[in-house]
Amino acid sequence: MSSKVNATKANEKDRKKTYKRIWKYRYIYLFMVPAIIWYIIFHYTPMFGLILAFKDYKYNMGILGSPWVGLRYFRNFLSDPMFYNVISNTLKISILKIIFGFPAPIILALMLNEVTNSKFKRVVQTVSYMPYFVSWVVVITMLSKFLSPTHGLLNEIRVNMGLDAVYYQGDPKLFYPLVVLTDIWKNVGWGSIIYLAALTGIDPGLYEAAEIEGAGRWAKMWHITLPGIRATIGILFIMGLGGILNAGYEQILLMQTPPVMDKAEILDTYVLRRGLKMSQFGYATAIGFFSSVVSLILVVTVNYISRKYTEVSLW
Amino acid sequence: MTKVAGYKKSIGDRIFNFVNYTLLTLLGISTLYPFIYALVLSFNDGHDALKGGVYFWPRVFTLDNYSRAFENPNILGAFKISIARTVLSIILSVFLTALLAYAISKKGLPGRRFFIFFFYFTMLFSGGLIPRYILYRNLGLTNNFWIYVLPGLYSFYNAIVIKTYFDGIPDSLSEAAEIDGCSELQIFFRIMLPLSMPVLATISLFVGVGNWNDWFTGEYFVTKKELIPAATLLNKLLSEASFESSAGADGFQNINEALQMRRNVTPESLRMTFLIIITVPILCVYPFLQKYFVKGVMIGSIKE
Repeated sequence: MSSKVNATKANEKDRKKTYKRIWKYRYIYLFMVPAIIWYIIFHYTPMFGLILAFKDYKYNMGILGSPWVGLRYFRNFLSDPMFYNVISNTLKISILKIIFGFPAPIILALMLNEVTNSKFKRVVQTVSYMPYFVSWVVVITMLSKFLSPTHGLLNEIRVNMGLDAVYYQGDPKLFYPLVVLTDIWKNVGWGSIIYLAALTGIDPGLYEAAEIEGAGRWAKMWHITLPGIRATIGILFIMGLGGILNAGYEQILLMQTPPVMDKAEILDTYVLRRGLKMSQFGYATAIGFFSSVVSLILVVTVNYISRKYTEVSLW
Repeated sequence: MTKVAGYKKSIGDRIFNFVNYTLLTLLGISTLYPFIYALVLSFNDGHDALKGGVYFWPRVFTLDNYSRAFENPNILGAFKISIARTVLSIILSVFLTALLAYAISKKGLPGRRFFIFFFYFTMLFSGGLIPRYILYRNLGLTNNFWIYVLPGLYSFYNAIVIKTYFDGIPDSLSEAAEIDGCSELQIFFRIMLPLSMPVLATISLFVGVGNWNDWFTGEYFVTKKELIPAATLLNKLLSEASFESSAGADGFQNINEALQMRRNVTPESLRMTFLIIITVPILCVYPFLQKYFVKGVMIGSIKE
């Protein structure tokens, strides 16, 4: 611990003072002990488990006893015919979600901000959170109920009008739009909370001054509102970019149907498939390792750049 | 000039307001209607619903879907698991996380920055799915009820939210208690916790919802039928093929009895019923906590 290091560098008196401080906080350390143990077991031990990416795991030999294969799995992954597909699907979905999904809660917050009737505002807000609080399973069940060729609402209307039923959920062209739309539907209400909170932090005096200058609604929004929540937008954007390799496996997993698999396999679902379903532990771990390292580098880089050129950063 | 500008503003304003209110109403409807639709279908005779045309109100009202759902041993068992894991997780997790948050909030704590980094780093990097799976297996957590509680005990994000709230409680209160001879534990229980009810309610909601909605753990880390939680079961019911085996004629002595007693219950209507049962608890709770979690989200985003 840093304080102990400082103590050894200083003299006897300081060392005594530090030990005294540690003793003073002994109960506080005690409060942290369960957490420390828990994090070591459930987070740091699996990190050491990453060594599995370099081993041909044999169940009876355990992780340490299994034979070493070096970078074999990493090389395999790079030459895997699925490699290009999986990575491009992941990136495509993430980027689409950023382009369409990132502005959505901001726009919603701005719209709600312009509402003067507080009752209406509160009702819309409460209702908009509903999809966030339910499971993705519920969301996809509802989607099925809407799009199913046999039981779905949309096809019911189509058949009533004399048209044929369409298997929407099996149409590869619709996959990305459906993924992005359901994601927005589920999260836009919840996402707007942060921005609405940030909006309350803008000095009303700025609006008054703008009013006097003759600024219209749009001018105010462009010159006051948006810059006012710039920090919040920035932080969330950094986090979004850092998480670009996580395209939402829970949702995607539930939406995968055989006809769309070409577009629907992302990094995380591929790890699941090769690892848990096909028991290729070493290979799947290698993919996961690759993904985690890239994500970490991304977050650190984006944060660094952002901190250098704007005041916005995660740390 | 003022008169013209005033008039112009008024028309533009009115159009804007009209469009704004309309769009927001449409959003509200789009998030609300699917739930209403499921609710209506759950109270409607299954066979009648197959004919289509039921949109806003049950055409042939029946409670059979619900009685069928509650009779089914799989569905009932799944809810027992879900309730147990949710309640247990909330109690343990909120208490332990608050304890951690309190420790972290002590600014004079030697090594504080190290510890914060120790916990925060886990939010940036992890071992991934496979090492976690092997860990659970080695710990004996697979096919064990505790897999629903132990791996999710701590969330540093939650800890930060609680810690930030603690930061807002004046030091003078705990200092006065210290002078009076209170131990840290007493300060924690008698001062910090009672004053933090709003944030604790918020975190309870987050933990509760996360647990209730988690279908992944039961799907991939558990194979025993008795340990399947409601969310995972609903997922299984979602695919028509497994429906017959998990919720079909299971609860009855023979197929004929099943066919006779519940002729108006179809897999579809049962699915909607199950969906409503699984959703209603959360939908009833969250509006009351809205005030608190709105604040909680705001606090959590303005970290340090």
